[in-house]
Amino acid sequence: MPRENISLAAILWAVIAFLVIYPLSVLIIESLRIAGTNEWGFSNYLAFFRDTYYLKTFWNTMVLSTLVLLTTTIFGIPLAYILARYRHRGKTVFTALILLPIVLPAFAGVFAFIIFFGKYGTLNLLLMQFGLTKVPINFIYGIHGLVFIQSLHLLPFIVLSLSAGFTNIDPSFEEAAEVEGASGFRRFITVTLPLCTPSYLAGAVIVFLWPFTDWLTPLILGKVDYLPSVAYINIAYHFTDMNRKHMGIVAVVVSSIVCILLFVLARRWVERKKYTGLSKGTTSEGRVIEPGPIIRYGSYLYMIIVSFVVLLIPIVLGLSAFSRRWVFEPFPTYWTLDNFKLILLESPLLIKNSFLFSGIALIFGVVFGLLAAYVIVRTRIRGNQTLDFIITLMLAFPGMAVGVSYMLAFWNGIPLATHWIIMPIALFARRLPYFLRMAHSSYLQLDISLEEASEVSGVGKFRTFLYISLPLLLKGVLVGVVMFFIMAFQEISTAIFLYKGGWETLPIGIYLNWHRGMEFGIAAAMAFLMIVITFILLLIISRIGGGILKAAWGPGEK
Amino acid sequence: MAFIEIRNLVKRYGKVVAVNNIDLNVEKGEMLTLLGPSGCGKTTTLRCIAGLEKPQAGEIIIDGRSLLAEGFVQPSERGIGMVFQNYAVWPHMKVLKNVAYGLKLQKIPKHKIRERALQVLDMVGLGGLEERYPAQLSGGQQQRVALARALVRNPKVLLLDEPLSNLDAKLREKMRFEIKSLVRRMGMTSVYVTHDQAEAMVISDRIVVMDSGNVVQTGTAQDIYQMPANRFVADFIGTMNFMSGEIISVEAETNSAYVKTEFNDKLLCKTTDGTNLKQGDQVFASIRPEDVEISPDRPETSGNLVAGTIAHKAYLGNFLFFFVTVKGITIRVQVPHYVPLEEGADIYLSLNPEKCMVLV
Ligand SMILES: Nc1ncnc2c1ncn2[C@@H]1O[C@H](COP(=O)(O)OP(=O)(O)O)[C@@H](O)[C@H]1O
Ligand SMILES: [Mg+2]
Repeated sequence: MPRENISLAAILWAVIAFLVIYPLSVLIIESLRIAGTNEWGFSNYLAFFRDTYYLKTFWNTMVLSTLVLLTTTIFGIPLAYILARYRHRGKTVFTALILLPIVLPAFAGVFAFIIFFGKYGTLNLLLMQFGLTKVPINFIYGIHGLVFIQSLHLLPFIVLSLSAGFTNIDPSFEEAAEVEGASGFRRFITVTLPLCTPSYLAGAVIVFLWPFTDWLTPLILGKVDYLPSVAYINIAYHFTDMNRKHMGIVAVVVSSIVCILLFVLARRWVERKKYTGLSKGTTSEGRVIEPGPIIRYGSYLYMIIVSFVVLLIPIVLGLSAFSRRWVFEPFPTYWTLDNFKLILLESPLLIKNSFLFSGIALIFGVVFGLLAAYVIVRTRIRGNQTLDFIITLMLAFPGMAVGVSYMLAFWNGIPLATHWIIMPIALFARRLPYFLRMAHSSYLQLDISLEEASEVSGVGKFRTFLYISLPLLLKGVLVGVVMFFIMAFQEISTAIFLYKGGWETLPIGIYLNWHRGMEFGIAAAMAFLMIVITFILLLIISRIGGGILKAAWGPGEK
Repeated sequence: MAFIEIRNLVKRYGKVVAVNNIDLNVEKGEMLTLLGPSGCGKTTTLRCIAGLEKPQAGEIIIDGRSLLAEGFVQPSERGIGMVFQNYAVWPHMKVLKNVAYGLKLQKIPKHKIRERALQVLDMVGLGGLEERYPAQLSGGQQQRVALARALVRNPKVLLLDEPLSNLDAKLREKMRFEIKSLVRRMGMTSVYVTHDQAEAMVISDRIVVMDSGNVVQTGTAQDIYQMPANRFVADFIGTMNFMSGEIISVEAETNSAYVKTEFNDKLLCKTTDGTNLKQGDQVFASIRPEDVEISPDRPETSGNLVAGTIAHKAYLGNFLFFFVTVKGITIRVQVPHYVPLEEGADIYLSLNPEKCMVLV
């Protein structure tokens, strides 16, 4: 085994140890510390699970997760089927719109829907104006609103994974069922859906875990009895009450354990049940059907409705970004650019911070990701699969857990948190897998003989990587770069625990301005700005090659 | 009336004509093979019979029932058994469930279903494996599951699309005979698709040779080997020497013609009955390697005798292949392995006029 590979792996492990393993150990140790003393024990956990309130939050979160998974599944199955199987015009546009929420910051949706569906929001005001209702209807405050908002945010994950499943099924499996006498619906239930379960599960686990990590949506909707929200409130607002703080930390650890456990179980199961490799596909497109008129118009209608709800987010945020004092009116009446002037002139710092932190995180991410991809794909160093596994786990890890553990680990012990560099470092650690997966999956497709040919001609390993591998990986790497940047740019759950005055990013600015009530125009303008930036970056991705996204996030493939 | 009748079948994919207006008849109990190179439209034809493709024109009648002209009949309504090229054995169901799938859709008591499925599994040699998942089976066993699934409902028609192409050579040869005897025993009418001429010759009662969506020739294996309809068929089935030339004269009463080739002014060849060849046509005088006689000395026989040199000798176990150069043209000759001739020897070739044929 070449020595440079070993030192490379050692460096990567050192980074992981410092940025993942060390802070998480501190978090776990802290969760075991008995409040006010220097003793350790499981008493915090016992107290947590004995307390009916915390038990209720745990239960609530489970229920919410189940409801969100049910909702996304019910709405996602037809959507994925339409997108994967029917040939129709505007497929690209609809796909892009339906997938948009993946890259939109989660809080953008909450704010937009409060403005639109709120008590005196646009919809209620319109209904009252037309005399359809006397008192405002409660569209979103409550568990139904939570389910609605989270489901919309998560629908794309289900649609992506299911449609990948529908596309990848060898058409002959379904044809065999038809020849055997099963038509339409029966074939779908007995053959198509079961064959899709592995890919469905890959998306479903992400959906199910989301309520265990999303503290912000319940908080803003005023329903705080969910694990992550309680944890956030306890840690961020009640840090003087040692008991509540520790309950908060325990809540964070409990959510993290649930997330990691389910994620690992799902992965295991998917890997064992992978059906695809069994039969070779005939066309890359899979089975595509020309639907009859009723199904065709039905699908159009369905896609238009979903796209419309998604589009509400940028539209509503745009309306309030370009107006002031938009209250008790269905649509704004006073148009202005003041909000943008304010954020661009008075606080350009936030924008600068966002770009700076995400940019530095990106550089870390690319360097680390390329090296890690190389070690994982091209070397057989012992433990490289474990490295891959730990990095992938960060996908399931709640952002709040990263934030809290960094706060605990880099304040007293290693005082990194006093310098702004903690912000990009935390973003980098949080979004670790995003670039790596892209690099990884393109690397897997790169024929090793191309590299070997270069080495045989007398070029060293490093130069071979630089001159041969990197150019061939370029597409995947570029998509990874943009994707990583988008995800770092909208990060809030980790950053909110670590920022100090002057280090605010755009998402934090949005959150803070929203708190100031009547100033939601500024928050909306910032959110709108973020959406525009994200959208432009997304366009760049689809130009480079949208297929890579699917390949990297497709089920079953590590 | 034939059991399966296909008339004027046309299937296009955009501009590509996959099946170009073909007619086919399959008699009851017959095993018919569609043979041709990859992309010639065999699978498409088969899929049209199964109802997995909607042809643009034409009619398919099975056992007197129209499947196209009086409204498209869905594949699930056709009562056909089909073996797919890639088996298409459902990986999420155990072997027994795979086989019983079609029976469950009919109103048959549960124990009867099991009984029948086990019986067919026994027939294909998979007894005892019914509780396995397909991933726990070898390629050959999966193939048998696919076969059992296609046979279990006792369908009127069995369709097989290159069922053996994914197996290794030894197993392939064994399965040919098994499939043939099984299908014959069950008395099924079947259409078999392959691109392997040896397979087609072993397994079929009749062969239909296809090229670019057209039927080029239909007949028994012997007919097609001995009297190929054109150069394409002759080239595809077996090995053939093609010597380009021009018709000098046609002898209609003896079904023969004289051809002027590059090495011989007057080669006597057979023609088909009622040929419309005429003087001046560009043709190929053709003869199979095993029909060429080779001798070191000038033989007594007259007619179609040419002198050449052995350029290359290839040993193929049970026989020898000589590549003989005759005035710059290479003619392949197949002889038993003991013929004592070496490279560089000057020899004579006799192109037996009874075996030499004119092809276009
Ligand atoms: N789904 C399809 N879409 C477009 N072209 C097709 C499709 N299926 C087959 N073809 C074309 O039709 C022709 C015949 O194909 P096929 O019937 O599969 O040939 P074979 O089975 O003899 O190899 C080929 O040129 C093939 O490219
Ligand atoms: Mg084929």
